Amino acid sequence: MDDYSNRNMARRYKAYVNLFGTTYLHPRNPYIIGWWSAAFPGFGHLLLGEYLRGFLLFLWEVFINLNANLNTAMIYSFQGKIGQAKQALDTQWILICIPVYLFAIWDSYRATVELNKIYLLAKRENHPYKSFSIGAFEINYLDKRNPVMAVIWSLFMPGLGELYISRIVLAAFIFLWSAAFFYYSHFFQAVVLLFLGKIEQATSVLNSEWLLFLPSLYGFSTYDAYMNAIEGNKLFEDDLKNYLIREYQNPSFKIFKGNRVK
Amino acid sequence: MQIFSTFEQSQYLELAISLLEQKGIRKENIYAVPLNGRKKNIPLFDTLRRSDGYSVSDIAIALATGFSVIGASIGFTLAWGPIYWGLIAALTGFVIGFLIKTGIIKWTERGSGPKSRSRPAEVILIIQCGPDQAKLVEDTLWEHLALGVAMVRNDETGD
Repeated sequence: MDDYSNRNMARRYKAYVNLFGTTYLHPRNPYIIGWWSAAFPGFGHLLLGEYLRGFLLFLWEVFINLNANLNTAMIYSFQGKIGQAKQALDTQWILICIPVYLFAIWDSYRATVELNKIYLLAKRENHPYKSFSIGAFEINYLDKRNPVMAVIWSLFMPGLGELYISRIVLAAFIFLWSAAFFYYSHFFQAVVLLFLGKIEQATSVLNSEWLLFLPSLYGFSTYDAYMNAIEGNKLFEDDLKNYLIREYQNPSFKIFKGNRVK
Repeated sequence: MQIFSTFEQSQYLELAISLLEQKGIRKENIYAVPLNGRKKNIPLFDTLRRSDGYSVSDIAIALATGFSVIGASIGFTLAWGPIYWGLIAALTGFVIGFLIKTGIIKWTERGSGPKSRSRPAEVILIIQCGPDQAKLVEDTLWEHLALGVAMVRNDETGD
């Protein structure tokens, strides 16, 4: 059951609260979104709320990257071993990767600029939107969340921050992929060896190709949880403000011209 | 009596209003004015195209991610290995990004007026009621985390 159903009475809505999470428009910096697409194709689109596009680009990147040994080549390049980098790369796969990589950056930048305009129009129209949703499997509502807690949980395990702020589909996606990246990179095996002080053994046990996915996923999930906790709070305030103005401003209410007694 | 109060925007405010209505205060005797927050006049950041640029974390986390990838890569050849170097690089990137952003914000905020450190009043709530209900209303408002409460009597009618 929803508290308000969008009946196409408005041209644009600022937000949509549904059982799987809250999708909303808010102004964003196109350079930051473009940067996240460069860090990992798909991340920019996920930050915009364009989840299907984001998932598609992410899956494509993981698949191509693993086949082309792109991460391995990046590691060699950063170490200055250009010859080894060239040898590691699979030409067949790497050339497919380039157009999609550039498209992800360009398209997320372009979409940010367009969505910022649409946000402004929706804000000016200020049409009521659903702010509560309850169903057989979930409850979702606007509320204030602590962005610091969102960051802390994301750092413990990518995806927990998203779960805290009710971004359930994205949380599931991040869970799945962080589990894969942790497992195949032998990350925790290395962490245990580091705790035992065996640094060289820890380095040798790591799978570099898989390990290099982890920093991007950590960074993205932390930023996404932090930013959306704040934006969700803003949306809550916007909804409450509109409600108070609509319901509690009776024209017959008159302020007393008296003295303060207490 | 009219009881004036200020609140932060939170679920407590709606809880207070609904409880007062349940206890017999009529809806037309409740008046709420949401306030606009202090304007952050930072033209560089608050433009149409990039208004969440005000966040101090965006450049920091972006740089942390980039640095971490490079740090982990080079770390494979260094004594401490990729995990330690990845973490060190991430932290370095975050600190650099944070300093850049706070520097920019400080620089653009210069001379923008005094800043308030206390919790901001975000909503003014006025409740009109008889003298017999005043105590109940006042207590209800305090219990729901009102920031300030004051009572005013109507001198003309004595209400």
